[in-house]
Amino acid sequence: MDSRRLLTILLAGALAWSLFSVDWDRDLVHPGGFGSLADILAALFSLDLSPSFLKVALSASWTTVAYATAGLTLACAIGLPLGIVASGSLGRGIPARLAGMAAVRLMLALLRSVHELVWAWLLIVAIGLSPMAAVLALAIPYAGILGRIYAEVLNDVPEAPLRALRASGASEVGVLLYGRLPMALPDMLSYTFYRFECAIRSAAIFSFVGVRGLGYELQISLDDLLFEQVWTLLFFLVALVVLVDLWSSSVRRSLTS
Amino acid sequence: MASSNDSAPAIRASEVGKVYGRKEALSRVSFTIHEGETVAVVGPSGAGKTTLLHLLAGIIRPDSGDINLGGRALAGLTPGGELSRLVGVIHQQLDLVPQLSVLQNVLAGRLGRWGLARSALSLAWPHERETAEKALDRVGLADKLYERTSRLSGGEQQRVAIARLLLQDPQVILADEPVAALDPARAADLMGLLAEIAGHSGKTLVSSLHSIDLVRKHFSRLIGLRNGGQLFDLPSADVTGDMMDRLYDLRGIEGVETFQGRDYG
Ligand SMILES: Nc1ncnc2c1ncn2[C@@H]1O[C@H](COP(=O)(O)OP(=O)(O)OP(=O)(O)O)[C@@H](O)[C@H]1O
Ligand SMILES: [Mg+2]
Repeated sequence: MDSRRLLTILLAGALAWSLFSVDWDRDLVHPGGFGSLADILAALFSLDLSPSFLKVALSASWTTVAYATAGLTLACAIGLPLGIVASGSLGRGIPARLAGMAAVRLMLALLRSVHELVWAWLLIVAIGLSPMAAVLALAIPYAGILGRIYAEVLNDVPEAPLRALRASGASEVGVLLYGRLPMALPDMLSYTFYRFECAIRSAAIFSFVGVRGLGYELQISLDDLLFEQVWTLLFFLVALVVLVDLWSSSVRRSLTS
Repeated sequence: MASSNDSAPAIRASEVGKVYGRKEALSRVSFTIHEGETVAVVGPSGAGKTTLLHLLAGIIRPDSGDINLGGRALAGLTPGGELSRLVGVIHQQLDLVPQLSVLQNVLAGRLGRWGLARSALSLAWPHERETAEKALDRVGLADKLYERTSRLSGGEQQRVAIARLLLQDPQVILADEPVAALDPARAADLMGLLAEIAGHSGKTLVSSLHSIDLVRKHFSRLIGLRNGGQLFDLPSADVTGDMMDRLYDLRGIEGVETFQGRDYG
């Protein structure tokens, strides 16, 4: 039996086991849950669109976008150099470089293996509840994710143009600047935009550690069972993601045409 | 045959061989090429033309024999700056960076001379723009300076590659089937341009190609390869149609299918 089939069977077994280990009767559905479900659905048709609440939602959206933007910008600034080193495109075949690559890859893995919420907890304990803590908490795991993807995309570009650059005398850094980066840029950008959407969602749930924004308002409205407001806030979140998507596709179009 | 026999030859290959696994891609090939000579390398698919040109360019290393460029052993030349002033290469497949502007692709020919800071800055504020403009003018693309390279046709991209070579300014131009991807009219045009540029600046040109008409028109000398061996090395005027027939004869060649598939498919 080949190892791939063995792996499939193991994974299927694990899935089955996990399904059986859920106590379906007790754990899954909150008693009395169906009652509030009806309320929630009803609220969908009576959204709170009063000017005062729209103002709250708008300013919360703005806060969330600001956190996401700051966090992702920092993540790019950290992830890009790490990704370049991890891709190994700064030199060729030197053992020291391979060691550096391995170290950076490990570092990227460490950064992204801890969830942003956990980073937020840690940082708030360490430096107190401040916008800085939220931005850093977002930037750290995202730098790990972006760095890893950047490394992969940089490695995936066609070889022929790189060889031609080397033949015309370019150093490996020259090859990076004139070959790898421009060829990888469209993919790197579209992935970064996708991550921007994720960053908005992440920033929104930072309310659980006390940071303001859409999630914070959501929590307040939920606590008061004001589902009309909850839906309005959710629509603002959706609108943000759609806007980012539109922006990203217009940037991508201008890059590829 | 324009040559300056008193100076060191531009290229000297002695008993050069290259083996891939058990396949002898090239065996005991020897020749001397003088400065300013135009030499065509001809032979059927798999004959070893690309292997030979890559060996001369220092892209791959020979398993036996020696190659000298301008009197210096190729093995002792550092890749990058030094080698790039001796030889420049044009490939059959397009190998420009599609996302860069035509101007930046041409300026990349200077990377062997520029330091790191200049290379980086030039991406934002192009350095030596007039030189690049002149080179593009030379290949007939003066109006495409800021065009994205991916928008150019295959023939135009090959011209950009030539313009890049002009900026690299090597002593020897090696071209591996530079016109194979073009239609006959454009192929003739481009080969003429390459030969004219080499002739004008007294550069040595070594190119593989399949069109015997173009060979006769632009090259003073012909090296015939078959199955990794050197079948002949003659002034192109002395090569007869019969010799070319024997060179391309299908009988006695391994891998005839790939030959037909690649060249006439
Ligand atoms: N990297 C490689 N690994 C293994 N075999 C190779 C490699 N490169 C070339 N060969 C073999 O060496 C021989 C010569 O190849 P080469 O590419 O030099 O031929 P060519 O004359 O350029 O052919 P074409 O006209 O098709 O470009 C062929 O049999 C080929 O299969
Ligand atoms: Mg070839």
